[in-house]
Amino acid sequence: MSKTWRSHVLCAYALAILAFLYLPLLFLALYSFNESRINAVWSGFTLDWYATLFKNRRVLEALTNSLFVAFISTISSTVLGTTAAIALNKYQYKWKPAINGLLYMPILIPEIVMGLSLLVLFSQLQIPLGKITLTLSHITFCVSFVVITVNARLEGMRPELEQAAMDLYATPFKTFRYITLPLAMPGIVAGALIAFTLSIDDFIISFFVAGPNSTTLPLYIYATVKRGISPEINALSTLLMLATISLVGIARLIQPHYISKNNEQ
Amino acid sequence: MSKKLLTILLILAVFVIAGCGGEKKEEKKPTALPEPQILNLFSWADNFDPKVIEKFEQEYKCKVNYDVFGNNEELLAKIQAGGAQYDVIQPSDYMVATMLKLNLLEELNMANIPNAKNIVSTLNAPVYDTSGKHSIVYTWGVTGIVYNKKFVKEAPTSWNDLWNDEYKGRLILLNDNREVIGMALKKDGFSNNSTNPEEVAKAVADLKKLVPNVLAFDTDTIKQKFIAEEAWIGMMWSGDASFTYNDNKNIGFTVPKEGTVIWADTFAIPKGAKHKELAEKFINFIYEPKISAQNYEYIGYNDPNEKAMQYHSEEFKNDPMLKIGYTNIDKGEWLTDIGEALTMYDRCWTELKTGK
Repeated sequence: MSKTWRSHVLCAYALAILAFLYLPLLFLALYSFNESRINAVWSGFTLDWYATLFKNRRVLEALTNSLFVAFISTISSTVLGTTAAIALNKYQYKWKPAINGLLYMPILIPEIVMGLSLLVLFSQLQIPLGKITLTLSHITFCVSFVVITVNARLEGMRPELEQAAMDLYATPFKTFRYITLPLAMPGIVAGALIAFTLSIDDFIISFFVAGPNSTTLPLYIYATVKRGISPEINALSTLLMLATISLVGIARLIQPHYISKNNEQ
Repeated sequence: MSKKLLTILLILAVFVIAGCGGEKKEEKKPTALPEPQILNLFSWADNFDPKVIEKFEQEYKCKVNYDVFGNNEELLAKIQAGGAQYDVIQPSDYMVATMLKLNLLEELNMANIPNAKNIVSTLNAPVYDTSGKHSIVYTWGVTGIVYNKKFVKEAPTSWNDLWNDEYKGRLILLNDNREVIGMALKKDGFSNNSTNPEEVAKAVADLKKLVPNVLAFDTDTIKQKFIAEEAWIGMMWSGDASFTYNDNKNIGFTVPKEGTVIWADTFAIPKGAKHKELAEKFINFIYEPKISAQNYEYIGYNDPNEKAMQYHSEEFKNDPMLKIGYTNIDKGEWLTDIGEALTMYDRCWTELKTGK
C-alpha cells in the first residue's frame, strides 16, 4: 500500500520537474502556430509564420552568419583543442597544472568579462569588428570545451594500447592515426558538437564583438524582441530547438556505437 | 542577464578603449581603393520594407548590409568602439544630441538629399539638432493615453484622467523615467524637461498617489496587455497604439490637452563613414514620394513626407491612430538632455518603483 503511494508521489514529482523544464518551450512552439501576430491570445491555427520566416531575407542572412561562424569555429577549435588535449595528456613537463588551469579559465570566467576583454583587445589592435572578430572570439571560448571533453576521453584510455603499437614498429604517426585518433574519436565528436551548439547559441560575447554584416540569429532575435515579439520569432526558435534536439540525438547515436566498438578491442 | 547591465558594460568598455587609444584612430586614409559598393546600415529591427531595400540595391548596384541594435546606448557604444564601420545609423532624438556633443556625426550633404525638403516643416531643425544638418527625421510619434472603450466609458482628455480609482490594477505606465515623470510634469503645466526641484517634487508626489493603481511599468509588452484587455488605460506611443488598434478595435487613443512627449528616430551618418555618398543616396531614396509611401505603409508609422500623401492608400490615410498623432504634432515637446538633473529623476524613479 505504502509502496504505491510512494511511487505516485515520485511520479508526480518527476512530472512536475519535466513540466517545469519543458512547458515554456512547449508554449513557445505552440504560439508559433497562432494566427494572431501577438503572443497574447490564441486565435487559430496557421503555418503562415513558417512561410514568412523563409521569405524574410534578414532572418536568412542571420542564419547564414550563424552557421558560417559556427562551422568555422567548430572546425578550428576542434583541431586546436584536440591537439592541445593530446599534448597535455601525453607529456609531463614543468608548469603542467598551471597550463591546464589556464585552459579551463575561459569556462570559469563570466562570459561578459570575456566579451569585454575581447572587445578591448580588438579595438586596441584596430581590427574592425565583423565576421572575423566574431569567429575568432567563438574559437577562443570553444577551444576549452573541446580540450575538456577530449581530455576526459584520453584519461580513460589505457597507455598500453599505444605502447603495443609502438612495440609492433608502428611509427609515431601511424600510432596516432590508427590507435590514438580512433580511440579519442567519441570525445572529439562530442567536443565538436558542444562547440557547435555553444557557437550557435552564444549571445553575450557576440553582442560585444559583432560588427557590420555579422548579425547572428541570437543577436537578431534580441533586437526584434525590443520591437514586439512576432510569432515569426517563435517559429524560428522552434526550428532552432528541433535542430538542437536532432544534433544531440545524433551525438547520442554516435557515442554508444563508438563505446561498444572500443570495448571489443 | 539584464539588457541594461549589458549596455552599461558595453559603454564602460568603450570608455576604456577611448581612454587608451582614441587618438590613433585618425590615421586612416580617406582615399580608399575602389571597392564593390556596400552600404552598412545599422538600425532597429524590422524598420524598413525589405522590398524597398531590394529596390535600392538594384537601382544603385550595391549591397545593403542591414544590422540591428536593441537600444540607443548600444548604438552609441558600437559607434564609439568600432569607429566608422557603419554608413547609415538611426539614433533617436536625444541620442542625436549626445552624438553631436561627442562629435560623432558627419554633416549631411543636402545637395545629395534633395528629398529632405519633402519633410513636414515642424520636424525640420528640431531642438536636438538645431542646425538640421546632421540628422533627418525618419519615424516619429507622440505619447498619449490609450484606453479600452469597453471599460473606460468617458474618453479621457487630460493626464488627470489617469488618476481615477476605477482603474485600480488596470493602469499601465511606460517603463521610462523621463516619460513618466515628464507626463506628471506636463499634467501640472510644467515642461517635461524641468530641472526645477520643486516642480519635479510635485510631479513625483502626484505619481506616488497613482502608483498603487498601477498594473505594471511596461514598454516592451504593453501592446499584448492591451490587446488581451488585461489593461484598461495607460500611456502609449502613437505607433504602438496603431498596432494595438488593428488587433483590438475597442482601443481608443488620445493626446491629452496639456501636451506630451514627441520622439523621433532619425537618419544620420557617423564620422568617417566609408560610403558617405551612397549613404546620402540611400537616405534620399527613402524619401522619394512613391518609395516612402510604400515603406511607411509597411512599417506602420506616420509618414513625415508631405509629397508622399497622394500615393498612400485610403486605409493608411484614414488610420485613426496615425491621424491623432499627426494632428497633435504641435502638442509634443522633445525630451532634451537635462544634465545633472537626471540624477534627481533617477532617484525619484527608484522611489516610485520600489513604492517608498
